Amino acid sequence: MSPRTIFIIARKELRDALRNRWFLFYTVAFSVLALAMSYLSLAGSGMQGLAGFGRTTAGLVNLVILLVPLMSLSIAAPSLAGEQERGTLAYLLANPITRFEALLGKYLGLSASLTAALAIGFGICGLGIAANGDSAGVGVYLTLVVMTFTLGFAMLSVGILISTLTRKAAPAIGMAIVVWLCLTLLSDLGLMGSALAFKLSIQELFSLALINPLQVFKMSVLHNMNTSLDVLGPAGIYATQAYGRWLMPLFIGSILAWIILPLALASLTFSRKSIA
Amino acid sequence: MLGLLLAIWGVAGLCASSVDGGSFDLQAAVDNAESGTTIHVPAGTYPGPLVINQSVILVADPGTIIQGDGQGDVVQVHAPDVTLRGFTIRGTGKSLDRENAGVTVLAPRVLIEDNDFEDVLFGIYLKKAHDSVIRNNRIGGKDLPLPRRGDGIRLWYSPNSLVEQNTVSNSRDVVIWFSNNTTIRDNTVTHGRYGLHFMYCDDTVLIGNHLEGNSVGAFLMYSRRLVIKDNRFIRNHGPSGYGVGLKEVDGVDSENNLFAGNRIGIYFDNSPASVDMVQHFTSNVVAYNDIGLAFMPSIERNVFTDNNFIENVEQVAVLGSGKLKKNRFTVDGRGNYWSDYTGFDLDGDGIGDISYKAQSLFENLMDREPKLRLFLFSPVQQAVELAAKAVPTFRPPVKITDEAPLMQPVAVTISVGSEPPAWPTTTASLVLLLSASGLLMCGMTGTLARPSADASLVSMTPQAHTDQPEEATKPILSAQRITKRFGRLTAVKELDLRLRPGEAVALWGPNGAGKTTALRCMLGLIRCKGAVSINGFDVRRQPKKAKRCVGYVPQELAFYDDWRARELLGFFAKIKRIGRDRVSAVLAEVGLTEHASKYVGELSGGMKQRLALAAAMLADPPVLMLDELTANLDAAARESFLNLLCRQRDIGKAIVFTSHRLREVETLADRVLVMERGEVVTTCEPRKLAEVLGLKSSLRLWIEMDRLDDAVSQLRTEGFEADRNGKTVSVKVRPDEKGKPLDALLAAGIGVRDFEIDSNESGSQGRRVEQGGKR
Repeated sequence: MSPRTIFIIARKELRDALRNRWFLFYTVAFSVLALAMSYLSLAGSGMQGLAGFGRTTAGLVNLVILLVPLMSLSIAAPSLAGEQERGTLAYLLANPITRFEALLGKYLGLSASLTAALAIGFGICGLGIAANGDSAGVGVYLTLVVMTFTLGFAMLSVGILISTLTRKAAPAIGMAIVVWLCLTLLSDLGLMGSALAFKLSIQELFSLALINPLQVFKMSVLHNMNTSLDVLGPAGIYATQAYGRWLMPLFIGSILAWIILPLALASLTFSRKSIA
Repeated sequence: MLGLLLAIWGVAGLCASSVDGGSFDLQAAVDNAESGTTIHVPAGTYPGPLVINQSVILVADPGTIIQGDGQGDVVQVHAPDVTLRGFTIRGTGKSLDRENAGVTVLAPRVLIEDNDFEDVLFGIYLKKAHDSVIRNNRIGGKDLPLPRRGDGIRLWYSPNSLVEQNTVSNSRDVVIWFSNNTTIRDNTVTHGRYGLHFMYCDDTVLIGNHLEGNSVGAFLMYSRRLVIKDNRFIRNHGPSGYGVGLKEVDGVDSENNLFAGNRIGIYFDNSPASVDMVQHFTSNVVAYNDIGLAFMPSIERNVFTDNNFIENVEQVAVLGSGKLKKNRFTVDGRGNYWSDYTGFDLDGDGIGDISYKAQSLFENLMDREPKLRLFLFSPVQQAVELAAKAVPTFRPPVKITDEAPLMQPVAVTISVGSEPPAWPTTTASLVLLLSASGLLMCGMTGTLARPSADASLVSMTPQAHTDQPEEATKPILSAQRITKRFGRLTAVKELDLRLRPGEAVALWGPNGAGKTTALRCMLGLIRCKGAVSINGFDVRRQPKKAKRCVGYVPQELAFYDDWRARELLGFFAKIKRIGRDRVSAVLAEVGLTEHASKYVGELSGGMKQRLALAAAMLADPPVLMLDELTANLDAAARESFLNLLCRQRDIGKAIVFTSHRLREVETLADRVLVMERGEVVTTCEPRKLAEVLGLKSSLRLWIEMDRLDDAVSQLRTEGFEADRNGKTVSVKVRPDEKGKPLDALLAAGIGVRDFEIDSNESGSQGRRVEQGGKR
């Protein structure tokens, strides 16, 4: 494995992403929505030291949960599949690079482009809040930024896995949207229904929620914001009391698993794939 | 002189031992003092317990410590009208049963002020000590788990007392029980369980207290006529987590308080309890709590006006089933400010023209099933709300209605704290934007177009390629028994190929014969059975080294169309670790120098083909693989391209290519592998390919009408398959003998006005049409 080759592929992927109109759209959309949400969170509060990033963060959590997985999945899923469909992947792989280098390079390039898009959004949002005179909880806000990056990387990893499982861009995007729907909505709806129908215990409910990276992201940000998960009711209180100081490592470990495992699986799938 | 000094200290001649307070005996001084005497206690550490049985005024010098023995109370006050001022009191026992306290007061009218309490289980404990004052003490609990701590301040049957300006931290509770007419003013209680815990304390006043970071701010129970004013209940977030909990209290008058960041701002349980009581909540700020107001379903007769309800996750909750009623949120046409109000104010009177209604399906679900709060801040929350709005059946009952919501928050006079500086936010945001700019620059700069020159890597021609004598006997590409199946279809079956330097081999066959698949197997793009080595490197085990020796031109020219030609070659040069000079060289070699700045998408098919060849030749590899090498070229370009490849072959490149075209094969190849259904059916020299395959071309000849039959006869006599076809003659010939029928007719004196070639070069394997010229 050559880091230099990976870097070259990553740079090419970053370059391609930056020329992609979807990148521009997502960057603008995320920036505008983040700014609007932070403004609305602060509007009329007049409570310096109590509002600020804490509430803004809570609002942004929702935005991130919806938009960032969609961004990540929709740019990662067609990356390999689209190149395979166009024939450029075969051409690329006919050169002296290994498949793992190509896959990792693409992943890193996409991660860099996503990081740029999110950093722009959060940066503008942060300046807007600072201009509004609110600065309490900047640490919480930065935690949100970092956790958003990691969530994005996890979703990119899933998107890359989807890309290795398909041969064309359109089915890849379709599958990505299905996965996005499942993660954002269907799994939570299912879990809610199960909690009521099967009388799931608090422990079971929390454990099942840990499977969903979006829930993990949300809980980690809220935990950092409030130093507990009380806001999430009995399950949150249980988590705070049962795991204590290990709660945050648990969340980080879960998200890291969502980065590493899909990427490892994607690598395995890609290494065995016929590039026609 | 000594007597004068002792007189100054208030007590003359009282000399006894102390820990390090010199000769002053505090206990003896107290015991021997007359009622009402003021005793100034010199600095030093005095042993506890100190038992005060006289109504004395004890005033301590700074640094005066009463050190308990860790076994019980430190100070016990048994006499009324005692004052204890300015001491540091520490070292109680740990017995919760015996309620070990820093100061235990068992008599009325006691003043305890300006003392520091350290390492105490209970701080100040008034038992039946009415009309007492606890003022400006600082009380820190023992470092114990919360349930094992004692209360910072406890009033027990001590009515008419005043507790003010005290600071209590890390204790369990501040308890005020059975103590009517008590005033709790300007105290700060942090990091305990109950900031204030009231029971049976009628006519009590809470003013200006700051209760922060406790499990519960204040829990007020079984009391009547309570005034709660100017207090701050902040971030009380334990399992109950109430800013203020009201349980069976009557007649609360709450004004100008801040309830912020608690789990529940104000909790109502059977309050007011009496049917004739009404409670008023005016000009309070209830903000940023998980739940602003939480009611048990039976709660009635609470009146809310001019309050600010700001950004509570759930503004109003009804805990349990049942409908909330008879609580008023509007009085005399004036309601409260709700930050989530979405109405309007057309007449500009500051009052919303439509009422505010707290109505949410998800909140209802949470109120009934608290564990569903786990899904707060999730998209599923919005989905549920959307469903409730779209389908009336799902619409939940309205929890409360404010008929006259305020459009702007009510101005309040609550001091929250100093505003933090804005620079960390600005700095963090600028760092984020700078990082993004760096990434954008990294992606946008033209570094791809300017690959780094690395002189040592300019030519990647493997050593084996330059070693001609050895190469003459050793194959540079070796494929052994390559087999590839797609399901039941065998695309390539046991293909063997050995290619030597300077040799060109053609894979010939119709569409679907397996030519492209065979090439991709050799490149390692497709997993297959068999073994492939290039320049001695196994394609599967050493893919990078093997592919470094190959230049590949695919059938379908798939490039990044939004790149410029030079940029594209620069990218591949970097991957192949070739210096930038080589890019210009290969561009010149394939005749694309003047098109180097064009976007790939702007190039013609022929130019793209040449660009592909340029990319393939970048590393000067010993092997070229070309799939349908002239598929995108016109006749002139085809010739030029073939000449280019012939030169490459002649300088020692090994070439393997696929083609349909006999002419290409005859021009370039040294050997032809004829494939059919994935299998090599024969191998031959190119000039014998037509014969081997039995290829025939069909000529159509235009001859004078009266000589048509003669021509047919003459051609048949010469051994050609000839037939009359309307006004023309059709002749079948070998592809390399198309001139012979013309020669035969000319020799027989039969003129040919015109001719056309219908070529069937692939024989039974396929059909192609070539247009010939006219003569």
